[in-house]
Amino acid sequence: MTDASAVSAADLFDPPAVRVQRRTASSIVAAVVSLAALGGIASMPLWATQGQIRDVVELCCYIAVAQMWNLLAGYAGIVSVGQQAFVGVAAYALFIMAQLWGLNPFVAVVLAMIAPVLLAIPTYGLLHRLDGPYFAIGTWVIAEVMRLATSVFGYVNAGAGMSLRVMASYSATERAVGVSILCALMLLVTVGGSYWLLRSRYGLALIALRDNPVAAASQGVAVGRLRFLIWVAAAAGTGLAGAIYFMAQLRITPPSAYDPNWANIAIFIVMVGGLGSLEGVIIGALIYFFADRWFGEYGATYLVVLGLLTLFMALFARGGIWGLICRRVDAPWFPTRRILVEDKR
Amino acid sequence: MANSILLEARGLNKAFGALRVVQDVSFDVRAGEVLGILGPNGAGKTTLFNLVSGDLRIDGGELIFDGQSLVGQPSNRRCRIGIGRTYQIPRPYVGMTTFENLLVAASFGGGKTEAESYSFCAQILRDCELIDKANRSAGSLTLLDRKRLELARALASAPKLLLLDEIAGGLTDEEGQALVKLIRRIRDRGITIVWIEHVLHALLAVADRMMVLNFGEKIAEGAPADVIQDAEVRRVYMGIEG
Repeated sequence: MTDASAVSAADLFDPPAVRVQRRTASSIVAAVVSLAALGGIASMPLWATQGQIRDVVELCCYIAVAQMWNLLAGYAGIVSVGQQAFVGVAAYALFIMAQLWGLNPFVAVVLAMIAPVLLAIPTYGLLHRLDGPYFAIGTWVIAEVMRLATSVFGYVNAGAGMSLRVMASYSATERAVGVSILCALMLLVTVGGSYWLLRSRYGLALIALRDNPVAAASQGVAVGRLRFLIWVAAAAGTGLAGAIYFMAQLRITPPSAYDPNWANIAIFIVMVGGLGSLEGVIIGALIYFFADRWFGEYGATYLVVLGLLTLFMALFARGGIWGLICRRVDAPWFPTRRILVEDKR
Repeated sequence: MANSILLEARGLNKAFGALRVVQDVSFDVRAGEVLGILGPNGAGKTTLFNLVSGDLRIDGGELIFDGQSLVGQPSNRRCRIGIGRTYQIPRPYVGMTTFENLLVAASFGGGKTEAESYSFCAQILRDCELIDKANRSAGSLTLLDRKRLELARALASAPKLLLLDEIAGGLTDEEGQALVKLIRRIRDRGITIVWIEHVLHALLAVADRMMVLNFGEKIAEGAPADVIQDAEVRRVYMGIEG
């Protein structure tokens, strides 16, 4: 840690004895709770009913899709309203590999992540010159193009959609075990992976990029490349959630796969929970999930209320619910801060 | 060492539409010196910095740093090969602490590992009198501290050439003197400095040479005492008619 003095001009001085504190009491508790939750999700077939498993799978998919959107909007400064393009393309890739090519569906779910990556690379090439709102519109256009193209693509049964009949060769228990383990892995990759990224030095670069891209570039951060990598990673994570979701649904059609509601849900969860925080995504996903269960029957009124809530948070509480909590208590679940501590000599 | 040339600019040009902001400007920066840049508002000083740091693309001319051409290199690469800069209007990363602001520069621009950066950045924070605010959110800093942070962050990228854009503006006499002392110390560590500044006495206290710009053109260059006496400079910059 002190060998920095050997390579720099600071060796004219006494290098200060410092260390950096990263863990907090709250983060240790959160780590234990997170691992327990992951274990609980993976072992659902042992304790949950089929209906509960379906609900948890749905919730996990919301968390994953929202966290990927959070990585884009909350860190890389990219606003996308077309994330459903990656949900749909990965889900269709799963159906093609498992149903048409005869691959093991549980392996195909993971391989399906290749499809959104292949879509993300050229679309970024098209979109990256666009700024803010133009970029957002571009992402929506791409998602619509994907939906329309799929609707006329005979190989995947066009607008009529496909069923994942191969799943019938597995027993209900086998399917539950597979989907539960996949869900736990998905959270580990999307939420755990994001946390790992944000704690690394690339996390510093991402926050710098969000706060001031010009200054970040002048301090050595490869802004363009970092944005591209986040875009591709978010596409892969979003696609994984889409593949798992439609594997549990067993049926897919172009309007359901490329449903703009995926982007709406992600935006709602992140804006209400707290942009730029992992904690906010979990809080926002839980709120959305229960609101949908309890008030979904009110149809249009319910959607208006959700919209107004998002607007209200955007206007009066930019940090979302997690931001409001942080103002009162300083107990982050997933701290990324680096607290400098000087050792007294 | 004093004679080797660190940065060589030949015939630099930059225009925004019909407005020519930098016109055929050539100059050398020698390793180890402090070059002061003077000029009225709108003379193209900051644009010149943006051309050297890579924030703006040059329309024409050649820039050679440490033996390699900078033309076509993005600003993040220029930082990594040793060009550090501050911004006239501070651009802190408000979502992180003062210390973390420096870590970005040290671990990306400076090419250090994160662990190597810790004590290096702590030392810079101490030099720049920011150590007490190391763990404060950069968004909560006062303007003076934000200016210090600009300088500290640029130093954290371990530059060979440091571009300072009006970092003394708005300081009290005492703070100005402390800044001059700090800049001398930075120079004594072997870092070459180009400093744009309106606070003339601060600049005169450190600069080895000076260059004056007006309407994008170089109108004088030389020893500070001579430049200040130059009739054209006195007319343009100080409004004193010969």
